[in-house]
Amino acid sequence: MIPPPLLARELRKDYPMNGETVHALRGVSLRVDAGDYVAIVGPSGSGKSTLLQLLGGIDAPSGGAVEILGTRLGSLSDRELTRLRLTRLGFIFQRFHLLPVLTARENVELPMAEAGVAGRERRARARELLAYVGLDHRADHRATQLSGGEMQRVAIARALANRPALLLADEPTGELDAATGHEILALFRQLNADGTTLVVVTHDERLAAEAGRIIHMLDGTIRD
Amino acid sequence: MTLLREHLGFDSVPASVNLCALCGSVVIFSGMMPARTVARALLIGLTFAAPGTPAYAQLPAVAVERRLAEDLALRVGDTVRLGTAPDSMRALATVGAVYEPRPDPAQITKSERHMRMHLPDLAAILGAPDRVDRFGVGLVPGTPADSAVAALERTAFGYQAHASSAIASESSQTFIVVSRFHRAIAVITIVASAVFLLCIMLLKVEERRMDAAVMRFVGVRRRTIFGALLLEAALIAVAGSMLGTGLAFAAGAATNAYYRRFFDTALVFSLITPGIVFFSVALSLGLGLAAGAAAAWRLVHTRPMVLWGRR
Amino acid sequence: MKGIAWGLKSLRRHRLRTALSLAGIAVAAAMLLDMVMLSGGIDKSFTDLLLGRGYQIRLTPKGTLPFDTEATMAGASGIVAALRRDPAIEAVGAVLGTSLYGRTADSLVTLFGYGIEPDAQSLYQLASGRDLTPGDSSGVVLSEPAARFLGAAVGDTVTLVGRLDPQTVTAGVGRRLVVRGVVRWLYDYRGQPSVGTVLPLMQRLARQPSADRASVILVKVREDAAVPGLAARLRARFPQIEVNSVAELVAHFRERLVYFRQLAYILGSMSLIVAVLLIGTLLTITVNERLGEIATLRAIGVSRATIVRQTLAEGTALTVVGSALGIMLGLFTARYLDAILTSFPGLPAAFSFFVPRADTLGFAALVLLVTGSLAGLYPAWLASRAPIAATLRAEAT
Repeated sequence: MIPPPLLARELRKDYPMNGETVHALRGVSLRVDAGDYVAIVGPSGSGKSTLLQLLGGIDAPSGGAVEILGTRLGSLSDRELTRLRLTRLGFIFQRFHLLPVLTARENVELPMAEAGVAGRERRARARELLAYVGLDHRADHRATQLSGGEMQRVAIARALANRPALLLADEPTGELDAATGHEILALFRQLNADGTTLVVVTHDERLAAEAGRIIHMLDGTIRD
Repeated sequence: MTLLREHLGFDSVPASVNLCALCGSVVIFSGMMPARTVARALLIGLTFAAPGTPAYAQLPAVAVERRLAEDLALRVGDTVRLGTAPDSMRALATVGAVYEPRPDPAQITKSERHMRMHLPDLAAILGAPDRVDRFGVGLVPGTPADSAVAALERTAFGYQAHASSAIASESSQTFIVVSRFHRAIAVITIVASAVFLLCIMLLKVEERRMDAAVMRFVGVRRRTIFGALLLEAALIAVAGSMLGTGLAFAAGAATNAYYRRFFDTALVFSLITPGIVFFSVALSLGLGLAAGAAAAWRLVHTRPMVLWGRR
Repeated sequence: MKGIAWGLKSLRRHRLRTALSLAGIAVAAAMLLDMVMLSGGIDKSFTDLLLGRGYQIRLTPKGTLPFDTEATMAGASGIVAALRRDPAIEAVGAVLGTSLYGRTADSLVTLFGYGIEPDAQSLYQLASGRDLTPGDSSGVVLSEPAARFLGAAVGDTVTLVGRLDPQTVTAGVGRRLVVRGVVRWLYDYRGQPSVGTVLPLMQRLARQPSADRASVILVKVREDAAVPGLAARLRARFPQIEVNSVAELVAHFRERLVYFRQLAYILGSMSLIVAVLLIGTLLTITVNERLGEIATLRAIGVSRATIVRQTLAEGTALTVVGSALGIMLGLFTARYLDAILTSFPGLPAAFSFFVPRADTLGFAALVLLVTGSLAGLYPAWLASRAPIAATLRAEAT
């Protein structure tokens, strides 16, 4: 049996703050199957971004476990975890986080270069991905020369570079105006239609409405 | 000496001859028996009185430089054997005094050790009776040294006469060269320090770019931000200058301690004068403020969104 | 690697900052290069000067160095003959150095005279005319300053006088000699008026009774490896004479110029510290500014090793470019500083304090490269240890 792309059990996350412990997550369990499009919604401080960071292995839970394609993240070394993020997961951030000194194409190539993909192959795939997000004509522009929507589309292309099993997006339309947000919505719809598994944290009701499944969070727990 | 007095012509160039010197390199054995050669010393014979001093009934006395006395474990009253070569150690002398030579930068790198004795004694050891290396001539006040030198050059066959000022100039040539070298090194150091200072101040001000952006967003005037950044730069420059001055004094003290011990001398190697402190502090403050002002001006004239990293 | 490319491109992001850093590193590198050249150049230049004609051992009066004093050795011809019988020795040349005078139309010019053996001389190079030959008791060679002072050229006749006696106002000896050639004396200071004749003639012209005396005897050994052993053997055989190999003379000379060597070490170290501080500070501040980018890279799967490599690459790039500029600047300033130091009175004109050598340049470049790269270690560690989630959270606020 093929394990699901994402399985989280009883996740807890506590932060020390001013001498007290803040319970950001209080036992969250979640399963995402291949081809799912899941939206996590909730008010600020509900723990949805923290959950996404734990699911993506960029932060360690205080309790519970996360499995990506059957691999338990807690059992991995930092090096193995980094490799898993590189090859199995794709991240999209609210503030894009492109490298401003690189061009759009170079930003997309970067994860492939890190994964050891040969130069010719990664250039071809970067072109293909930029065409997929509608930015092949902007390939040689620096990140700082792109609009917000264009930067987010480059970030999506970068997240897809190593053909991840799961795409994690944290408020992907949070920095965009309504029209540009629509473009990203359409892109996500197309991605999911093409078989990409998506988990999106959002405030955006339109984006949440696109998802096949909506998870509501409040005070560090799932309420549905 | 008599001849020199005659050549000088007291009626035309009033003068006196009051010091004659003869230098010779001799070998010295400590003790009476030439068991082994222990040192070679430069012996300087001096006349301290008018010629014609009666011969000594006892052994001649030598004054030994403190470092030589330490090297040979000599004390006042010890007897030493002297000669011009290891195979001619015929003269005996007693250590009459141990003296500390006047600190001389020209001597510190030389391993020469000195002794002093009466001129006739040294002349006897060297086998050069009635010979000297040089005469010191004291002129009556008001007599131009150059005219006395010219008179001597004209009349004293085989002599070369030099004015003391010319000798001083010649012998200080080494230190003029060292001084020029130090100045050149100082210029390079100042350039390096200036670039370093400019770079640090630029980085320091640029660290504030996000703060500057926020202040601009909330409506703080450019002038206020500029003033705040400049004040910060000035405080850093003042603190750095004070720290640097303290470091310089510490480094100077360490340099002096090290080289005084290394060369066994009382010379001062590193001298930090108020002028040097003033120059250094003024330069670092000036450069620090100028760099801070330039970086701050650049920062406040950059669009806040660019500072914030948006475009 | 893209990670490294990112690091290098980042240097272009703050051009003024990078340019200033490069300028600082270049000046520090120039100073380091100069000081490395100074510390080794003195030895190298002096060794080259002494070994110019291949004579590896000097014999001088006990307790003296060559031409350090006017002391001389008696029985020079006997010593030379004994040395020439030694199978390990290829050539021996005795030299007498003394003050003497040249007569011009209206006065006497003070000169320095070398008495040499023409078939075994190692003190000069012929510039024009021809060399002295053994037994040439009517010829003289002049340095250019001596030729100028005496107003003489090759083929002219000059008068040399010695043993001046002020009591009788006469010269004890005088000779009319034909100028055979103009030469460059290897150990003369700039502008020194020197003349050379065959040894027996100079012994007659010398101030004190100098028959069969020499100031220095130079010995050329067949095998370089045999020099220390032969020097020790000669020391035992001639206890009343100072025997020094070139290496030992260099050690004496080094002792006299110890100040410059120590200054070179101190200033060289300071230059390195300045370069390291500059690179370290720049990279630390740059890394702090880019923590968000670094956290993003870590989040998308870029390894710590790549982050470390790119930070070190930035430091190395700064060092390499700064050093390249520094080497050019250093060679230029070395010429200027050398011109200052070689104006020391009494120093051989052929002597240099700053000697550019491939190994010196290589050493300075290597030291800079290593320390410059090491300067990036702390910022690289800082970059690789940035907490991903916390940094991204901080970036989002």
